[in-house]
Amino acid sequence: MHRTEDVLATLSMIRQHKLDVRTVTMGIDLAPCASPDVTVLCDRIRSRLVQYAGRLRAVCREVEGRYGIPIVNRRIAVSPVGRVAAGHKTEGLLAVAKTLDAVAAEVEVDLVGGFTALVQKGWTESERRLIAALPEVLSTTKRVCSSVNVGSTAAGINMDAVAALGHVLKETAERTKDHDGFGCAKIVIFGNATNDNPFMAGAFHGQGETDCVINIGVSGPGVVKAAVEDLVAHAPTRPTLGDIAEEIKSTAFRVTRVGELIGREVAARLGVAFGIVDLSLAPTPQVGDSVGEILQAMGVSRLGGPGSTAALALLNDAVKKGGSFASSSVGGLSGAFVAVSEDAALARAVEAGDLTLAKLEAMTAVCSVGLDMIAVPGDVDAETLSALIADEVAIGVINHKTTAVRVIPVPGKKAGERAVFGGLFGEMDILPIHAAGGSAEFVRHGGRIPAPLSSLRN
Amino acid sequence: MSSYIISVTAADRVGIVYSVTGALLDLGGNVLELSQTVMRGYFTIILEAEFASPRTREQIIEAVHERGKRFDLQVQVTEVKDGREPAQAAAGERFILTVLGDDSPGIVHSIAGSLAAHGANIVDLHARVDGQRFSLVMEALIPHDLTPAAIRSELERYGRAHKLEAFVQHEDIFAATTEPSPVRIAAAARSQGESLASH
Repeated sequence: MHRTEDVLATLSMIRQHKLDVRTVTMGIDLAPCASPDVTVLCDRIRSRLVQYAGRLRAVCREVEGRYGIPIVNRRIAVSPVGRVAAGHKTEGLLAVAKTLDAVAAEVEVDLVGGFTALVQKGWTESERRLIAALPEVLSTTKRVCSSVNVGSTAAGINMDAVAALGHVLKETAERTKDHDGFGCAKIVIFGNATNDNPFMAGAFHGQGETDCVINIGVSGPGVVKAAVEDLVAHAPTRPTLGDIAEEIKSTAFRVTRVGELIGREVAARLGVAFGIVDLSLAPTPQVGDSVGEILQAMGVSRLGGPGSTAALALLNDAVKKGGSFASSSVGGLSGAFVAVSEDAALARAVEAGDLTLAKLEAMTAVCSVGLDMIAVPGDVDAETLSALIADEVAIGVINHKTTAVRVIPVPGKKAGERAVFGGLFGEMDILPIHAAGGSAEFVRHGGRIPAPLSSLRN
Repeated sequence: MSSYIISVTAADRVGIVYSVTGALLDLGGNVLELSQTVMRGYFTIILEAEFASPRTREQIIEAVHERGKRFDLQVQVTEVKDGREPAQAAAGERFILTVLGDDSPGIVHSIAGSLAAHGANIVDLHARVDGQRFSLVMEALIPHDLTPAAIRSELERYGRAHKLEAFVQHEDIFAATTEPSPVRIAAAARSQGESLASH
């Protein structure tokens, strides 16, 4: 017999604290689909996706019912299209994007990631064309997500790609200006991208993966917040930060276990491999489902103020430790997301003027993933965006971690005005970029920032 | 060799288990299985004991009463007949049913009736009322040909009429979240996947 207290505690995490499986992401290798004939290529992609993902929705429903755990999103991540569609012209790349969009709708997944180029050291002609086609793809498809890896600790930073992406963001935002530049919410620019990340917009099926794999993204900011609040309120003496870290670890254990169970069951029912659980704390705009609120529960009442980075570092590390003990299949990004528009507490801190872009950049040095879902003024120049990307990627490259940029220049709006993306993407006041406009010469040098030294690490 | 099922109830006091098992030992009895709980201040124990030499039901009751007379014990003894029927093999998968909400008479009865009608066997059950708040946690074997959704929808229908929430979840979710042992999934899921993969 399971202890009644354990049953009720698990149930409480689901009912009251919004524990859910944020995404079941099916990774599918598209390398066998390659063909110089674009029609053949698209036909092969369609049949391969349907072959593997055709039953994904039904199986997720079965598993959801069996365990009483909500599975919020089903998604597909494919091999980087920059390689699968190598040799194709822009028209061919657009045809692939349309195919991915259509099949995603057909198999009822909300997003498909992998319109991706991995160009950290250099880029092929196809990858250059893919990046150039992104404004068209992101503004004319609904479900296709893109990512570009522009840097790695081993290779350095491809500044030519970084320079191009500043213009891509500007044009994508302009093409989706009726929705506050929302197209930019579907592209992530990475340093040290991971091959098995299940979270969008940055998911792709990377090298070294098998034909088809199920990766899981769990989410439990509300659960962690409730655990910290409960400890602070009911501990006989004021808990130390070490006590709080222990509480987060044990909560992360439970959250991770839910992900592993669901992942193994879905994979087994589909007859495909189980990959990883990504135990990132992914917020939603709902109150009570916020990473920022966890920091507040720890005692940092003004998010963005001193203490925010240290509290986030503690949180991120404790989550990893608890998750690593829970499962030997932890992977992906696995940390705490500070996705500003998607996190009600962080968005409020921006409104209050407490949370700035500079502080966010500092916070991303100790958590996953980076400058995420941040609205910036629409009149920012492309080179400033590129320089912002370079700064964030440099943090990851130097510190041997994944960092990313998902910023949205909102056309026609200035700092302090409201950007509204809707649904899980949330809304926020537009953040100013301090000292913008002075980085163009740096960006225009182009070339590659060399790979960093791996010794003398102070 | 004779064997008996013995149950003892009393207001909870220190020393009841010591007293009961002492009486059985005095009679040459050996305890084969025992379960004890305290509920709302009342102690209950149920056990099976076997005796090397023949003992009567009355002898056992008297011995337990005599040794535990300061506890005012209520004792019941049932002889286990030779050739007892073997326990029925468990049929179905083990699910945890949780019901939470306002208390009213008849909740356990109604839920048990729904399960019995579906052939679901209750294997463990704990329910209590705190103030007006009712909670029930039950383990039940749900037959393989019945989906948890069928049980859930019936319990939810009952719950809506009585201000109760009902949850039906496979026990593996609770094992996963509370036990450090490796995560397990049902063999049925694996075989289902294998058959699909072969297509």
